[in-house]
Amino acid sequence: MNIICSPIGVVNPSCPGNGVMDLKSAGFEHVLLDLAMCCSGYEFEYFGEPRKEEEEEEHDRIPVTEDPAGIASFFEKMTEACKREGLTFLIARAPYLLRDTKRTDLTPLLSQVQEACIRFCGQIGCKSLIIRPLFAGLSYGEEWQANHDYYLHLAQVAKEEKVMILLENQCRSMNGHLIRGICSDAVTAAEWVDELNREAGEECFGFCMDVGVCNLCGQDMHEFAMALGERIKAVVLRDCDGHQETALLPFTCTRSLEPQTDWLSLFRGLRAVGFDGELILSMGDTAAAFSPLLRPSLLSLGREMAGYFQWQIEIEKVLKTYSSIVLFGAGNMCRNYMKCYGEQYPPLFTCDNNQKVWGTMFCGLEVKPPAALKELPKDCGILICNTYYREIKKQLLEMGIEKDKIGFFNDEYMPSFHFDRLKEV
Amino acid sequence: MLSLGVQTKNVVDDKDPAAGFAMLHRAGFSCVDFSLNYYLTNTSLYKQERNDFFDQSEAELERYFAPHVQGAKEAGIRIHQMHMPYPLYIPGGKQELNEYLWQVVAPKSLKVGEIFSCRYMVVHGFKLARHLGSEEAEWQQTESLLHAILPRAREMGIMICMENLYTGTGGHIVEGTCCDVRKVVERIDRINDQYGAEVLGFCLDTGHANLVGLHFEDFITKLGKRLKVLHIHDNDGVGDLHQIPFTFTKTRENKVSTDWDGFLRGLRTVGFDQVLSFETAPVLSAFPEELKEEVLHLIARIGRYFAEKVEERTYE
Repeated sequence: MNIICSPIGVVNPSCPGNGVMDLKSAGFEHVLLDLAMCCSGYEFEYFGEPRKEEEEEEHDRIPVTEDPAGIASFFEKMTEACKREGLTFLIARAPYLLRDTKRTDLTPLLSQVQEACIRFCGQIGCKSLIIRPLFAGLSYGEEWQANHDYYLHLAQVAKEEKVMILLENQCRSMNGHLIRGICSDAVTAAEWVDELNREAGEECFGFCMDVGVCNLCGQDMHEFAMALGERIKAVVLRDCDGHQETALLPFTCTRSLEPQTDWLSLFRGLRAVGFDGELILSMGDTAAAFSPLLRPSLLSLGREMAGYFQWQIEIEKVLKTYSSIVLFGAGNMCRNYMKCYGEQYPPLFTCDNNQKVWGTMFCGLEVKPPAALKELPKDCGILICNTYYREIKKQLLEMGIEKDKIGFFNDEYMPSFHFDRLKEV
Repeated sequence: MLSLGVQTKNVVDDKDPAAGFAMLHRAGFSCVDFSLNYYLTNTSLYKQERNDFFDQSEAELERYFAPHVQGAKEAGIRIHQMHMPYPLYIPGGKQELNEYLWQVVAPKSLKVGEIFSCRYMVVHGFKLARHLGSEEAEWQQTESLLHAILPRAREMGIMICMENLYTGTGGHIVEGTCCDVRKVVERIDRINDQYGAEVLGFCLDTGHANLVGLHFEDFITKLGKRLKVLHIHDNDGVGDLHQIPFTFTKTRENKVSTDWDGFLRGLRTVGFDQVLSFETAPVLSAFPEELKEEVLHLIARIGRYFAEKVEERTYE
């Protein structure tokens, strides 16, 4: 899995040095090439209308809608800055229309712009490009034919440039209420991807799952991911309150001590399909709202956050890294481990600081005192199954246990749960 | 014209049911959705509390509802649909209560349906996906319940209808059971085949659908004739408010933010021929008592507008 950061709210393409440095310092290695930075939805919306004099003066370049090939020069400074810092562009996003666009006449223009985007991706070695489906002016039943023709036309260029086109789930604006739009039905989206690939004669198309859109549409992301399976090549990770379209740092939209995005269903879904593609952290609204003085800290947290998502999605990979394991903790987390993973990855025993439970059996495991951890087989990992992670880790390190042997388990996003919780002994 | 219906809650009072049915008739309704679920509310059940309403014997229930049956008959109102109390299973709840819901409340609800000669009974599926790990595992539990009640329902001439539901996190509503129309269609057809009869149908709740942004036209078109019952109501896309259609807007342009056109196109496409039934009882607690009848008239007027659109030869 590759962790990628969106540059929105962080990097100014005309003066990219500072933002690119911040991304690098935070530990990112890959940046999303967001081509909408050079051509906003509003530029499409007002395409063909005479520009005001002050706008002409403000922009010292010809708009991309008038000169699509100008994309390359717009991003010249940014691509150079990223190259200097060793950041790469594995994936890009093409410009798109506003959700509530009034323009139903722009398909030919969109096609030209997207062709230029594909060419640019090919030029800089960017392997995937997210291109949103056409939606403006299409009635129920007309969507497939219009998009079929649009995407297959683009596929010819994509093949030449060796760029994979990723369709993306959309919401639509019902007079300001964002509801399910094109490709938000995952079964239909999967059929589209398959049919496009079949007609293209090779795997030219994949899918990008936008978590923010799933959340706006109140979707079960477990089911969504399952329906698309391996077609999901990228995931846009962003938070929102489920009503307004924003790109916030995950876990920041909360109410009544609960997240407003159903992260549990996302983790279950991405685990179920073995997601191993591009994980794009999109937190432009959070980043833009932060003071530039605080942004480096935010980006570091963002990097850690993306790493946490990767860890949760790949949790079984972590379990497979040890030849054997023991657990630390004989409570609910240990019980949850045994429920979901105990059979496939059976621990040798568990241990606990509570003397009262030493020598007893818990969920089929013998509960030993922590001292028993000093006599473990080589390559045996110790998974801390208790939310007092750091305190226990410190205890283990002080006991002389090697740092590399200590790992964490977490039961917040389990494949299933017990109906009850145990009371503390 | 398609028949119009509305919930009985907040109109039909146990003390004088005939008066409520008469008011509904005057407002323009010929059918009702009998609010059986208010005799054992979900709010009390989630607190693991219950009253003794369903402790009554079937004969006692028949006597209890005799004035209602009589009142409806006198007013020319048909009990088209009814809502079984819900939930029928409380995750982590007392075993005694869960058994009571399944073994007492469910069959006695069917009995009440029979007393009213009600054709459709709406049942909520279980909300267990979080615990069991998947929607599929959750449905297996719901299906067990269905197999427990379908034989008796069939004998009584009552069709059970599943409803699209929601769940939520942090106050944000997300889809729950029966929101995937393909699965709904497969399950209804499979179970009906199993029984060799149309024992299971669907209830589309427009408010729930709006909360999770379902595509009305697509959902209804795929459901086709399996759609038997409607719970028509509106909301702001945020909370399950059960308000009158066309109430909500989101922008200063003040255009309706619920896709009623898509809803009507869908009904027209599938040739919907059941009852346009409004689940708008909360509206009546919002308006002053003095305006109740006028509000019911407005709801019925919207129903007639819907009926005209659904039955138009060509719909634009």
